[in-house]
Amino acid sequence: MMHCTMEDLGALRAGEGSVWARRHITTCDICQKEQELLYQRVAQLKALPALRPSRDRWPAVQAVIRAERSRKRRTWTWTGSLAAAAALAGILLLQPSTGQHGQLHAELNQAKQQSATLEDSLQQYDIDGRVLSGHAAAVVADLEDRISAIDGSLALQNGFTQDVETRDAALIKLWQERVGLMRELVNAHVTRARYVGL
Amino acid sequence: MTVSLAVPDILVARAQAGDEEALEALYRAFETPVYNLARRMLKRPEDAEDVVQETFLEVVRNIKQYRGEGHLWGWVRRIASTKALMRIRRDQIRATEPLDDEPGKPGMHVGANIDLERAFEQLSETSRAVVWLHDVEGYTHEEIAEQMGKSVSFSKSQLARAHARLRRMLDIDAGEAGGTHA
Repeated sequence: MMHCTMEDLGALRAGEGSVWARRHITTCDICQKEQELLYQRVAQLKALPALRPSRDRWPAVQAVIRAERSRKRRTWTWTGSLAAAAALAGILLLQPSTGQHGQLHAELNQAKQQSATLEDSLQQYDIDGRVLSGHAAAVVADLEDRISAIDGSLALQNGFTQDVETRDAALIKLWQERVGLMRELVNAHVTRARYVGL
Repeated sequence: MTVSLAVPDILVARAQAGDEEALEALYRAFETPVYNLARRMLKRPEDAEDVVQETFLEVVRNIKQYRGEGHLWGWVRRIASTKALMRIRRDQIRATEPLDDEPGKPGMHVGANIDLERAFEQLSETSRAVVWLHDVEGYTHEEIAEQMGKSVSFSKSQLARAHARLRRMLDIDAGEAGGTHA
């Protein structure tokens, strides 16, 4: 005697059984029992206890949220300091770049160029799209906060009225610090990308 | 597991404003159901934990777009199931359904009287996902097919095969119909 398949029973459960299956189930004890077992299995699945994670992932989520917020702030500050730097560059271009001043000017440009190159390198990594461990996210967040703070100082420094050489020396120091931190940030992302096999 | 998670509107509004305490409260409210959903679909606990993390990052990034249409849990659950299914797709090998029970493997052979939870764990991730989403979470085959990028008939046949396997593993005596309900 032919009986309902599991697909037939599933369709009957969904109210979509074939005419044959609907008729057969009313007269076949075996298929009725099988259908009852299916209902029982589903009920048992629904009644399984909730599984709980063994580790708390909130610190990692929180670290990523903070890093992203910090990155957004940094982007805005960076935009501001870029505008200020562009204005400053305009002023410097009008001044003769000779002697010590010329050397400072060259060092400043070099640090800015290095920083821009490192910013480009960061774009290679999917910064927002991957899971970071809590520790890695905290390291990245700390570096981004420090870079953000430097960007703030750069924006302020550009607005100071002081002699050109003092200002340039301070700017070079800040830009070089920024380059160092950017390097650490790129390394952090490179290490993570290697770890996840990208 | 039946989930009834009511979240106060004020908490959602605070979360949408970026309040970190509110975001953590949402995380605490949904952490277990999201993990449970992911863990039932995925074999490895660490994968399920990653899904929890990815889900909440997406919730945080998109909470402003949540307009209060439908239950918040429904929205979070959809994100979580999508993340879990993405993991299954990413590593299809892990999701491959064995052709038959592997002989000699504890708890796998016909005749072993194992409980439903252990039997369920033996299913492939694809089968687990379909069974869990359909039978427990109440998704339709159309919704499952859309989320998995497969056809409705794929979802239906996966469900039937999974139940047939569970039936065999549980070794429930079906009398004369023993071999006919596959």
